[in-house]
Amino acid sequence: MESDWAAENLRVIRTLMERSAIYRRALAPMMLLAGSAGTVAATAGWLAGIEAPRAFSGYWLGVAVLTIAGCFLLLRRQALRDGEPLWSPPTRRVLQALLPALVAGLICSAIVLVKVGAAEEKTANLVGLFLLPLGWVVFYGCALHAAGFFMPRGIKLFGWTFILGGCGLSALGAPDVPRPLYAHGVMGLFFGGLHLAYGIYLFCTEKRKNEA
Amino acid sequence: MNPEPFLQLDRVIHEKGRLALMSLLAASPRLSFTEMRDTLNMTDGNLTAHMRTLQEAGYASVTKAFQGGRPLTTYSLTTHGRKAFATYINLLEKIVQQTKSGK
Repeated sequence: MESDWAAENLRVIRTLMERSAIYRRALAPMMLLAGSAGTVAATAGWLAGIEAPRAFSGYWLGVAVLTIAGCFLLLRRQALRDGEPLWSPPTRRVLQALLPALVAGLICSAIVLVKVGAAEEKTANLVGLFLLPLGWVVFYGCALHAAGFFMPRGIKLFGWTFILGGCGLSALGAPDVPRPLYAHGVMGLFFGGLHLAYGIYLFCTEKRKNEA
Repeated sequence: MNPEPFLQLDRVIHEKGRLALMSLLAASPRLSFTEMRDTLNMTDGNLTAHMRTLQEAGYASVTKAFQGGRPLTTYSLTTHGRKAFATYINLLEKIVQQTKSGK
């Protein structure tokens, strides 16, 4: 009997220690913000005629910086409202997990931006408007998957959606549509549409959980 | 069965609520009052009482600060608290092992 009780206590301790390390901030507002930004930016980018590979990269890097800043403000507001530290250990762990893949994506973008200037137009368009956006999708998926080890379970699956989607589209090859339209479309679909869909799903499930 | 490990269990940690709090704190360098309260669904009074007991035993320390103009109370385990928690876990494992080996 003592052994059952001791083993049960050990199980409870393990569960609580794991729960303590999990990131608990509400993700729905951040996903909805990122999704809205991605969708609006894709539409605006296409309508504004951002078509050169360098302009495309610079434009989307700017969108990423603004979206990250917006998410940071949401995160800060949640922490203040809940009376919790902003840089809690789970937040730091999630950030550390996200960083390697995001930094790798940023370095690849920088290399492309530098090299694309010297390439002929066809190659520059292929690299800057086909491979680069799909590379961003895959790197972002890897970052999400890594962070998923310290977040609710669905994030890893969400990361896989990006990874497999990006790799799948790369395997299919460049379709017979204007490259800038395709590039903005990929960005809008993945960074806009998927975030919005996941944000709406989280909004409904988190709301239901809070009501229970 | 040898009852010695059971008798050595730390009574301060052994209480259900405090054991849960020690487990949370053992996995994090520090946690806020609200994080612990919400994770364990404890009342403010209950949590305060348990944390006071842990502080009096020298197992936990409290830091009071301000974040965005609001008070922020965080707790962490002391070195003494971490050692006591590790000892408690080792004793639980011994109890489980003893039964498994039929002693």
